[in-house]
Amino acid sequence: MKLAPYPMIELDLSAPLDRHRATVKPDWIDWNGHMNVGYYVVAFDQATDTLCQQFACGFEYTRDKIGMTFVLEAHVTYDREVKEGDALRITTQILDHDAKRIHYIHTMYHADEGYLAATNELMLMNIDYASRRSAPWPDFAMERIERLAAAHASLPKPSQAGRLIGIKKK
Amino acid sequence: MLESLPYELPELVTSAPLDTHRSTVLPEWVDWNGHMNVAFYVTAFDQASGAFMRNMGLGRRYVDGKLGMTFVLETHVTYDREMKEGAPMRFATQLLARDAKKVHLFHEMFHGEQGYLAATNETIVMNIDYASRRSAPWPVPVTARLDLLWATHQLLPKPAKAGRIMSLSKKK
Repeated sequence: MKLAPYPMIELDLSAPLDRHRATVKPDWIDWNGHMNVGYYVVAFDQATDTLCQQFACGFEYTRDKIGMTFVLEAHVTYDREVKEGDALRITTQILDHDAKRIHYIHTMYHADEGYLAATNELMLMNIDYASRRSAPWPDFAMERIERLAAAHASLPKPSQAGRLIGIKKK
Repeated sequence: MLESLPYELPELVTSAPLDTHRSTVLPEWVDWNGHMNVAFYVTAFDQASGAFMRNMGLGRRYVDGKLGMTFVLETHVTYDREMKEGAPMRFATQLLARDAKKVHLFHEMFHGEQGYLAATNETIVMNIDYASRRSAPWPVPVTARLDLLWATHQLLPKPAKAGRIMSLSKKK
């Protein structure tokens, strides 16, 4: 598909992408009195929507039965607690991409205090709506993904990307 | 370090992997793609970690008694197949490693009826002192239980999906 059948938003080539803002909701809090591990991923998944809107693969993409995006793999580092009502700022860096996938990392900060709260490295795949199987990005998306990736290429690789989970032996 | 816990601990299950946790995909876990959203796989796995911790004697009473908590430090999920609303889930949990304050767990989520692998979750969970909200050694009876569990779990092979580093070049 050459052109998106709906309006595309203006492309934001600032690096990293720094558009997503959120607030920790009351129902995101668990019995430990902080945002539950699952809701960090809810917040990050909403930041993925913000990223996908950049290349017109957001809500309209699925609403119009063109395609979907599925997460294949996710890695979260929980760096510091956030509490109910806290303001969140999430930045996004594209690390790599190919014909069907993008590899990227979100970084969540406490928006007022500035500290790092968490990171989320992800592998996202384009899915054809009808077959529900992987498919190449549509042309309108690929053109923008390449421009975003080029803009992000000069950023250093975050230390939280490419991590292996383990308990260090003493 | 807590020398004891002021409540009765449940009977220890040492079968390996731990295969006690069951759950169901709730309606509010489903997203606009018509399947369980990525975040709620993590919620479902977190509940499986909760089942593991209850087996260690660290359930709700551990938190409500203001003794301690357990925090997830890091988690890695592979999304292997979709799950729809109402789907039953079965979890198998393997203890991969443990030290004085942490456990390294590997969960597998299966469709409870069709048997297919839906997702995996490798995670590090740390013990937290309630008052200071900082890391602390496991209570003594928990360390004893972890040692008993390790005796059976260390015999399991390392899961193929454990220890992954994310990269585009690895997969075709």
